[in-house]
Amino acid sequence: MNHAERPVIYRYGVVTRLSHWLWVLAFFVLVGSGLQIFNASPNLDASDKSNPARRVLAIGSPQDGIGTTTIFGHTFTTTGFLGWNGNGMGGHDAHAFPAAIIIPGYQDLAAGRRWHLFFGWIAALCWIAWIVATARKGSLRALLLRPSDLPKLWPMQAYYLKFRKTPPSYDGVYNPLQKAAYTTIGFVIAPLVVLTGLALSPGIDAIANPITAIFGGRQFARLWHFAGMLILLAFFAVHIFQVLTQGVVNQMRSMITGWYRTE
Amino acid sequence: MKRRIFLASAASALAGCGPIGSALNDNEAVRRILTLAEPLNHALVGTRGLAREYDDRDVDRVFRVNGFATPIDASYQRLVADGFRSYHLIVDGAVERPSALGLAQLQRMPQRTQITRHDCVEGWSAIGKWSGVSLSALLDAVQIRPDARYVVFHCMDNDGSGNLYYESLDIHQARHPQALLALRLNDATLDPDHGAPVRLRVPTQLGYKSAKWIGRIEVVGTFATIGAGMGGYWEDRGYEWYAGI
Repeated sequence: MNHAERPVIYRYGVVTRLSHWLWVLAFFVLVGSGLQIFNASPNLDASDKSNPARRVLAIGSPQDGIGTTTIFGHTFTTTGFLGWNGNGMGGHDAHAFPAAIIIPGYQDLAAGRRWHLFFGWIAALCWIAWIVATARKGSLRALLLRPSDLPKLWPMQAYYLKFRKTPPSYDGVYNPLQKAAYTTIGFVIAPLVVLTGLALSPGIDAIANPITAIFGGRQFARLWHFAGMLILLAFFAVHIFQVLTQGVVNQMRSMITGWYRTE
Repeated sequence: MKRRIFLASAASALAGCGPIGSALNDNEAVRRILTLAEPLNHALVGTRGLAREYDDRDVDRVFRVNGFATPIDASYQRLVADGFRSYHLIVDGAVERPSALGLAQLQRMPQRTQITRHDCVEGWSAIGKWSGVSLSALLDAVQIRPDARYVVFHCMDNDGSGNLYYESLDIHQARHPQALLALRLNDATLDPDHGAPVRLRVPTQLGYKSAKWIGRIEVVGTFATIGAGMGGYWEDRGYEWYAGI
């Protein structure tokens, strides 16, 4: 079929598109302001309270001009990026993450918290709006991984890696790998990031101690919260790569106008 | 080619966060919008339930000093020199019985002990064993008036620029069963670094609410006329008044 013969379908509703782009904004703000908050205490401990004996990650500056990152007791020199880096005002000094990627772009924990807690609400409300809108359309099922998809995961991956000439047969709009990604990110990792964030709060701990306790306590929850961010960043990288390699104009147009040209 | 464009755009998008965030953060209207999360969190989370209480074996024997260390103010240094014998905790404002309580009087009031976690806004936590007078019992002793809405804690330290530290709680927070005027930490008399002779402990909120070196407790209808009017030293500098999140 040539270009004109491929039918154009209305693929994304207005709630999906709006929540998608608001989520993009919220995600960048949450990562940047989260790193600002991390900088105020650049350690992650697998413990309820702060505990150097159970330190998983530490970013620091043992002396001026040197930045180090310690992961499970192994120290790496990360001068220029982590530990010792540009301060956003023309100089260099000791901060865990550099000024270029924290929000705001200078040390200000109070402002970082304001940004983080506001956009935490935006992200959570977007997520709820998207779930409700998708469920009402009846298309939530198409996104969720089912047991019958499990045997098709590897054949699909093999097809992507060009070990197979044809993809495995599957029903619906999304292939088994896409469903696995959407289910993991949308229904496991995103809620976990919200919960581990809540677990850091003394007010939440007092109302619902199990939320903090289930993650191993406050500092441990901080570690999970950080790990959740890394997983979301990894998903984001793969997602952008796929958009760029599978018809970037068509993909971008469909997420802006809703209309998608089928293959 | 695509990969290079992808990497370059990803890097520049990330590196743009800081400068763009700074520019927006310097905008008054943006900052006002961001503060909208605080009343929402206050209404939904508020001060409910009890902070977890721990066992003796969980206690950090060397408790990390939060905020500033020992005040260098001359008036405070004089109190340290005489072992706080001339110290009096002033309690006044919207109360029927304004009082000046010496340390011995505070020690004779019923004491309660709690082992709770101090959650610093910076992100670290430490567990301490705190003993002292229930704030609620003190408010009963001075009989707060019906127009009382907030309890303001005036501290004896300044930040080097002459700004005195202060904090505030509303009556509901001040009546919380774990709100404590601590006189002891880890079975020893409170030392100057940790807030001697009297500090607040509010384990349901972040550590900056737990003011140290309290000299005066003022019960008020509004804190708008105190400091910069935001209810506390750190609040005047952009931090949330409601610090349960």
